[in-house]
Amino acid sequence: MAEKEKERYLRQLNLEEWDQAKLKSARVFVAGVGGLGSAASLYLAAAGVGLLRLCDPDRVELSDLNRQVLYSDRSLGRPKVEEARNTLAALNREIKIEALAEKIGEHNIEQLAAGCDLMVDGLDNLETRFVLNNYSVRNGIPYIFGAIYGWTGMASLIHPPRTGCLACLMPSLPPAVGPIPVAGFIPGTIGLIQAAEVCKHLMGLPGTLAGRLLIYDSRALTFDLVDWEKNPLCSVCGG
Amino acid sequence: MIIFLRAGSELRLKLKPDVDYYTRRVETEEGKTLREILRQIGLDPAFVAFAYSEGKLRNLDYIPQEGQSITLQPPVSGG
Repeated sequence: MAEKEKERYLRQLNLEEWDQAKLKSARVFVAGVGGLGSAASLYLAAAGVGLLRLCDPDRVELSDLNRQVLYSDRSLGRPKVEEARNTLAALNREIKIEALAEKIGEHNIEQLAAGCDLMVDGLDNLETRFVLNNYSVRNGIPYIFGAIYGWTGMASLIHPPRTGCLACLMPSLPPAVGPIPVAGFIPGTIGLIQAAEVCKHLMGLPGTLAGRLLIYDSRALTFDLVDWEKNPLCSVCGG
Repeated sequence: MIIFLRAGSELRLKLKPDVDYYTRRVETEEGKTLREILRQIGLDPAFVAFAYSEGKLRNLDYIPQEGQSITLQPPVSGG
């Protein structure tokens, strides 16, 4: 490791069991750079994850700025992935950042996520989450699920066949809704939990959210940790 | 028998808590599933994405026991 890197990562290199080399060699696919993806990718870049591949087809809107902290007023109307790449590159020039302004679907997920070790779910809808889930089941690639609504957010590490898949956790798709209400700090909190889970998983540390769902309710100020299991009748992963 | 349903997030407005800010006391018959109990109190099960108690996820076919407290969470989809 170069001297500059040793100095940059000094405070985490002092942590017992921290393995910077594993982070540096990792390739992480960030599916969506909205509220969750903003927070997660900022801390993954700062931590020194070697490659972040950002994927999001959207442009920055004014109503994004209460929670999507990669952007500012100057970003309005610009492609999110371009703005995100600029912000993250300014934070850490030691890492590689790829920007894909693509809408994720079954037709292109194999190409978009190819070669990545892990995926971060920063998506804003459940339908595309199931595209990630199907890819994860087919290829055995883990992903860090995150989702929010109002004052609440949740996260889990999904890694079939070691754990169940998203369809085990959510057997039915809730009715689609329009733009959801959300307090800006909720995707921030959940995104940082996702970043922590990425680092722990990449470094092979125990105590991850594999098979467990963390539910944060900021109004009630509760963090609930709930075990969830494979569904032997799951139509996607087969349990 | 009596059970306690605790609402997360915006579900609180639909649950109409009466014990505290988040919790509703429900009197029901033994052997009823969570789905049946939700319908009994006029809460559409479609609004409940996750239910859990004692650190375990419960599906809506789960049959609560006397005095049990079950937390309900609405669908989450945003990011």
